[in-house]
Amino acid sequence: MAPILEIRSVVKRFGGVAAVNGVSLALEPGRIYGLIGPNGSGKTTLFNCITGVDQADEGEILFKGRRIDGLKPHQIFHLGMGRTFQVIRVFPELTALENLLVVTTAGYAEAERRARELLALVKLERLAGEFAGNLSYGQQKLVEFIRVLMTDPEMILLDEPAAGVNRTLLNELLDAVRRLRDQGKTVLLVEHDMKVVMGLCETVFVLDHGEKLAEGAPGVIQADERVIEAYFGR
Amino acid sequence: MGVLITPSMIGQVVISGLLAGSLYAMVALGLGLIFGVMRVLNVAHGPLLMMGAYTTFWLFQWIGLNPYLSLLVSMPLLFLVGVALQRFLVRRVVDAPELSSLLLTFGVSIALVNLAQLAFTSDLRSVEYLTGSFVVGPFALSKPRLATCAFAIAITVGAFVFLRSTRLGKAIRAVSQSREVAQVCGIDVQRIHLITFGLGSALAAAGGSLVAVMVAIQPEMGQVYTFKSFLVIVLGGAGNYPGALLGGLLLGLVEQMASLFLTSQVNEAVAYVLLVVVLLIRPTGLLKGRV
Amino acid sequence: MKRWFPVALGVLAVGLALYPLQATGYGIRVMLQLFMWIALAQSWNLISGLTGYVSFGHVVFFGTGAYASSILIVTLGWAWPLACLGGGVVAAGLALVIGWPCLRLKGPYFAIATLGLNEVLRVVVSYYEGLTGGGNGLSLPTLHASVEIYYAMGIVAAAVTAVTYVIVTSRFGLRLMTIREDEVAAEAMGIDTLRYKLYAFLLSAAAPGIVGGLSARDQGYIEPLSVFPLIMTITMIVMALFGGKGTIWGPVLGAAVLFAFQEVVWARFIYLHQLLFGAIIVGVVLLMPRGILGVLQQKYNLPRTI
Repeated sequence: MAPILEIRSVVKRFGGVAAVNGVSLALEPGRIYGLIGPNGSGKTTLFNCITGVDQADEGEILFKGRRIDGLKPHQIFHLGMGRTFQVIRVFPELTALENLLVVTTAGYAEAERRARELLALVKLERLAGEFAGNLSYGQQKLVEFIRVLMTDPEMILLDEPAAGVNRTLLNELLDAVRRLRDQGKTVLLVEHDMKVVMGLCETVFVLDHGEKLAEGAPGVIQADERVIEAYFGR
Repeated sequence: MGVLITPSMIGQVVISGLLAGSLYAMVALGLGLIFGVMRVLNVAHGPLLMMGAYTTFWLFQWIGLNPYLSLLVSMPLLFLVGVALQRFLVRRVVDAPELSSLLLTFGVSIALVNLAQLAFTSDLRSVEYLTGSFVVGPFALSKPRLATCAFAIAITVGAFVFLRSTRLGKAIRAVSQSREVAQVCGIDVQRIHLITFGLGSALAAAGGSLVAVMVAIQPEMGQVYTFKSFLVIVLGGAGNYPGALLGGLLLGLVEQMASLFLTSQVNEAVAYVLLVVVLLIRPTGLLKGRV
Repeated sequence: MKRWFPVALGVLAVGLALYPLQATGYGIRVMLQLFMWIALAQSWNLISGLTGYVSFGHVVFFGTGAYASSILIVTLGWAWPLACLGGGVVAAGLALVIGWPCLRLKGPYFAIATLGLNEVLRVVVSYYEGLTGGGNGLSLPTLHASVEIYYAMGIVAAAVTAVTYVIVTSRFGLRLMTIREDEVAAEAMGIDTLRYKLYAFLLSAAAPGIVGGLSARDQGYIEPLSVFPLIMTITMIVMALFGGKGTIWGPVLGAAVLFAFQEVVWARFIYLHQLLFGAIIVGVVLLMPRGILGVLQQKYNLPRTI
């Protein structure tokens, strides 16, 4: 099966430092992938290059066989790839419902129907008219999560979904991610919480100092000496 | 047009451009420091320059103080003004949306210009101190421009030495790169903000004192420098302090070259066209910077 | 709120429509100017209040409209209503030309870019002397049409307010607001922020263009200094900020209050007046950044349609 996302020798420099230094990855559709690595390994930069927030200096990124490096974020979004952010970025002065409505270009009635459907999915229907800025951290996290789903994207990038989230909510989120996978969607998440990664992801990529260190099933990665060294010291 | 352009004309233009550019570089560095450290675009930068110019003028008028010596007064004075502005006004909006600091400094700039109008009236003033040019071969080097350039270079070099070598200067650069990390390293970020705003204002004041000898002094004289300083920052890349130098020189050169072909009226628009062109081609500036 | 407001509005509209029948020439002039400021403050609000992209040179659209429509009247003999609409179109065109490169910038950069715009236009106007009369200004054929212009201004003011209402209650408006809230997230959620900013900018330039033309027609004479003054931008901004940027009626409130203030202070103490405006801007930003209506909106949980 052709990979849904291909990253070919991507390099991204800031000043003199290469935050991402020749990384190549291939993601098959319908699986959950994890991207891990110690701080400063280039995970977020790579994420930003994929989603168009940053432009890669070298290399190519292909989504569904089509080059997306060089495209703007909103264009990539409309090709079927959505993302969430490490620091929650809901629109605080819009209500939860409005946060969802702005995303889709579908007709108003259709959009509202889908928005309420998604809100019900995460049990937030009664907060539809509440300003997003007034919601609790966990609720905002959920709104950001379902916001990505408004246009039914084929691929979803999650930037540290477990950050600051309590256990119950986290389990709900993880279940939701598994359901998305079952629907045939591809998920790539950046995460620091190893339990989450090991319990959820089918394949894990490890970055260190901007380069791909290892790739494989969670169990294999956990036992890999180089990975252990990268995290715990040299 | 229809003018024959000789090599010596080009040489003259290059020299004039570099002389003017050194001033732009120094003044722009002031704006760039404030922006780099606090992400505040100080719209009042021009009015601060204007205040430096008036300081020099009044000192010259009252006690006949050498305009170049008045730098020793205008720079510290405006340093304090800058610190006060930061302490009482700007500090409260540093963490607010950037919109707020923009509007705030805009309001401050209006207030300063009109305070000057009320205090000094809009009569044109000037400091008649240095006139004439040195003639070197086919080139005429305007004396005031030379002096301005010399002082601008000296002050700018001093600023860079300060930023590179002193602990305070390094702290400033640290905060400008990452406030959180600087804080973790034990740097008193509030203090750095105060000092930076003061420094930026002092550099603007230096610019004002230096141009006081060359141009007409009036309350609205600063606005064009705000804009040009901003243009220099865009040319050089935001947060890129050495870039500000190159940007300043480039602006000076482009302006002088344009004056070869265009009438002086249209010259004012040159800076603007340059800005739009640069923004279209490379919004992050000609050198690497953080937009 | 909901029931008596439209009724009150209707009564006010009728009152304003009948006003010229028994007002003095001076009274009509005053109201005409008030309408003009409402239109200007509302327009500034459309770009700066909704998207958060502050325009420091907005008067440039007023001046452009003034010149464009005056030239249409003088050289092509157009009737003034059509010429003023033409002024609006030209102003919107200018917004497109400037906005396309400059709206790619982050907010503060865009703001300063607009600061220099005024200077350029003033230079352009002086340069094309043949057409614009350069520094000597441009005179329009004499016409006593204050009453008609009163109505025209009133219609424009009402129209801009109505357009603002429509925008704020639509998804288009929501998307504009996301640009203000979090532009990076907006882009990531598929919103082509450049395009939306451009639409808002165009819309915000049209009314000043029309109103500039109307003002020029009323004055009968324009020159670069009179139609491109920084103080007009400052006034627009103070009015919108004071009343409440990002709200619908905020600019109207701000315009009314500060216009009254201006009538009293301006004529006698120009610099003090401007100084006070600068101080008001500083005060509003520090103490009530959302303006009067914004504060009320937050405190009493009023709907966005205020």
